[in-house]
Amino acid sequence: MGILLFITVLLIAACGLIYELVASTLASYLLGDSILQFSTIIGCYLFAMGIGSALSRYINRGLAYRFIWIELLLGVVGGFSSALLFLAFAYSQGFQFLMYALVIVIGVLVGLEIPLLMRIIRDRYHFRDVVAHVLTFDYLGALGASLLFPILLVPHLGLVRSAMLFGILNAAVALWSTFIFANQIARTTVLRIFCVIVLAALCIGLAQARRITQAAEDNIYADEIIFARDTHYQHIVLTRFKDDIRLFLNSHLQFSSRDEYRYHEALIHPGLSAIAAPRRVLVLGGGDGLAVREILKYPQVESVTLVDLDPEMTRLFSTNAMLTGLNQKSFLSPKVHVINGDAFPWVDTNTDSFDFIVIDFPDPTNYSLGKLYTTAFYKAVARHLSEQGLMVVQSTSPMFARDSFWCIAETIKQAGMMTYPYHVYVPSFGEWGFVLAGHHEYRMPTTLPTGLRFVDVKGMPALFQFPPDMAPLSMQPNRLNDQVLVHLYDQDWKDISH
Amino acid sequence: MKTEPKIAGGFVNESFQQGHMLRDRAAFPPAKRVEKTKVVIVGGGIAGLSAAWRFQKRGFHDFVLLEMCDQAGGNARWGENEVTAYPWAAHYLPVPGRKAVFVRELCEDLGVLKDGKWEERYLCFTPQERLFLYGRWQEGIEPAIGLTQKDRDQFRRLEEQIHTFRETEKFTVPMEVGFSEEIANLDRVSFLDWLRQQRLDSKILHWYMNYCCRDDYGAMTDQTSAWAGIQYFASREPEEKGPLTWPEGNGWIVRRLLERVGRYVRTDRMVHKITQAGSSVRVFAGDTEYVADFAIFAAPTFLAPYLVEGMAPLRSFEYSPWLTANLTLDRLPKNYGTDPTWDSVCMESPTLGYVDATHQTLRTRVDRTVWTFYWALADGPASQNRRMLLSSDWNYWKEAIFHDLERVHPDIRQCVSRIDIMRMGHAMARPTVGSIFSPERKKLKELRGSLLFANSDVSGFSIFEEAQYRGVVAAEHAMQRLSKN
Repeated sequence: MGILLFITVLLIAACGLIYELVASTLASYLLGDSILQFSTIIGCYLFAMGIGSALSRYINRGLAYRFIWIELLLGVVGGFSSALLFLAFAYSQGFQFLMYALVIVIGVLVGLEIPLLMRIIRDRYHFRDVVAHVLTFDYLGALGASLLFPILLVPHLGLVRSAMLFGILNAAVALWSTFIFANQIARTTVLRIFCVIVLAALCIGLAQARRITQAAEDNIYADEIIFARDTHYQHIVLTRFKDDIRLFLNSHLQFSSRDEYRYHEALIHPGLSAIAAPRRVLVLGGGDGLAVREILKYPQVESVTLVDLDPEMTRLFSTNAMLTGLNQKSFLSPKVHVINGDAFPWVDTNTDSFDFIVIDFPDPTNYSLGKLYTTAFYKAVARHLSEQGLMVVQSTSPMFARDSFWCIAETIKQAGMMTYPYHVYVPSFGEWGFVLAGHHEYRMPTTLPTGLRFVDVKGMPALFQFPPDMAPLSMQPNRLNDQVLVHLYDQDWKDISH
Repeated sequence: MKTEPKIAGGFVNESFQQGHMLRDRAAFPPAKRVEKTKVVIVGGGIAGLSAAWRFQKRGFHDFVLLEMCDQAGGNARWGENEVTAYPWAAHYLPVPGRKAVFVRELCEDLGVLKDGKWEERYLCFTPQERLFLYGRWQEGIEPAIGLTQKDRDQFRRLEEQIHTFRETEKFTVPMEVGFSEEIANLDRVSFLDWLRQQRLDSKILHWYMNYCCRDDYGAMTDQTSAWAGIQYFASREPEEKGPLTWPEGNGWIVRRLLERVGRYVRTDRMVHKITQAGSSVRVFAGDTEYVADFAIFAAPTFLAPYLVEGMAPLRSFEYSPWLTANLTLDRLPKNYGTDPTWDSVCMESPTLGYVDATHQTLRTRVDRTVWTFYWALADGPASQNRRMLLSSDWNYWKEAIFHDLERVHPDIRQCVSRIDIMRMGHAMARPTVGSIFSPERKKLKELRGSLLFANSDVSGFSIFEEAQYRGVVAAEHAMQRLSKN
């Protein structure tokens, strides 16, 4: 009898600590800054335990009965805490609120356990033995839990199932307490039925946990996936959360419908508005049709030629109602000619001239894409510029990839053009950069199409000013035979993520 | 069990049968007609085409070029299929230094060098080369991973020595510019022995030295003159990250040369006899006897004693047997990695690895490609390897190539739809010990009489720049003498 009691103490101590560790670890995974998460969660938890201990004095009757209920409650709340937090992170805004609420509830319940238990058994032993034994097994349980957690539980079970396993232990403690304290409680049958129900719920949860995490983890980094397709060239994923539609190509974010107007207005208008009478426009990349949407705001533009590698991409953005809503059916305009082909060979063999050329490729993450950021490529593009022509190049982030940005600017300069780098803040991307270039001096436009939400004449000079943390750096140009940019880009982003 | 897809292919561009007719002194029909011209160029490889280029540039048109095969180009021949053009042998040209005046002039003619700048799209794209060792790829072919301190010290020491040799300006491209008897002693010892004398014994350094000798000379370090081993490293001072390359390798240069001089070229015209009488030379090819003031012998020099009446056999001309194969890949191997290189070498392999013909594409994506697989049969006596090369059938070599590539691409069999194999018994001159400074070569270089020797093997080794230099110099010599007469 005695040893069973103390094993109960050991188990409930272990359960309490596991819930605390699960919450801290989960918060570190999902929110980052593990020192902050561990400190605040342990602090809240211990404080809540104090509250629980204080509250225990108000419980005067039916100690064993209430102890069993506390165990059951802990089993439910603690056991499902991790699953609940995962889902909350994926599906709601109130993750942190829920997390601290759960930690406090669990803390209060755990704080109640030991004082109640000590009072339940105080008649069976000397007081000094009760204190000594209960605290000894309490600390032993904590030790066991703290060792099991990193070595066995997280690697083999994961956070969701670990919490559920210990929820089951809590409920099991409740069940056998109905036997240990049978002489101190009435209505044991009802209690036992509740215990079995909780145990069953947790066991089902444990068995189904993989599905819960999968459902949740799908949603950790993205919203609901509404479209996914592997084309010959890339993996296209569209996600939607409320009114925010996001496009990912090979898991790189291309735009968020909430702020893409900032990106595309900044990409098009500083250049296109500066050209007196633009008639012919070329877009390389940009298969989402959003840049074309901005270009069509100029009635003088007679034709827009868009060269994009992936026919599925341009078809998707020509036919899907939700997406044509975003690009305002730009691909359906009779002015627009879509060519599905590789940009460099196309530029190299085509002989047409254009007043404005938009180069909007994925970032130079590998040597294949890196070819589209070389002096050879920009020289080939420059041949297509008309007398008054300008080109604009998507040039990655001058903030997060400063070396890369200025390397691209230098490469365009080495291809024999005058360059005018500028930048814009796009919330879903961060600080983003472009380079305008041409054979003559660039003057900022004095008028713009009506109805723009971001670019305006007054604010434009600010786009061309780089604060010290993004200021120009002296870089080598990127060349076909010496692709320094891919290394720089790799290093820039490594520096950010470490 | 996976069934192996059917793989097409066979031996291509074989020319040794014709060579054997000469060797065996076969009877050729007598000439039916006589053609008079000022100069006959024998052989349409880089040396012969360069002589023709020189003539044409100088406005000299009274010459013909006789090529044994149905396609000119020699060691710079190329092929083409529905996927891409690809090389059959020489696949690159190192960015020529200042001393390679003729090569630079050619590069300017072809738009490769413009206003002192090398055309970017003809320079090998990044990433250039990779080496498979210890189960992974590293960038570059000189081993850089898994080196001990001793290895590093020895690589550095060798580099310092090479630097000193370079400073002497006696190792140059073309070799004739810096050629000096003062360093003839380096030709009397093998490269292997020289390395040992320098107390360079690092295994991994020796692997690299052997790789370089196999790559440029088709020989191992013990069969290579120390002079040639040092020449490989000390002669080049690249001013740009290269090399220059094209999908069809040096075939691109041949194509451009043929655009200029194609009308002088007679293919399928095997020369079977050359006689010299007085100040004229008679060249017999097929049913025609060409009577000329000069013949530029740009074919491999080992053929000359079988053709030229009264010529003594050659003693210091050895050649390395090679096998090259072009593999058409319908898909890329699975573990290809994200960034495939132009040249891929495996340290454990006795071969030289493969070169990707679509590497120089401007496209961002290729689905099919052609790999040119190079195998210099360097280890062991050349004659024995030559016999093995010619006696084994296509299936044998196909399996050997697959076995070799499976070290790095286990699923290669599932990717390849065609393997064409070219066997060359005498692919390149081997710069053996004593060959570079041999009296025989000195005599051939002198350009006396009406028969001028111009093949790169006169220099002692087969590289583009030597072939071009010999061809141009022979052409200049012939024009100079003709203008005096």
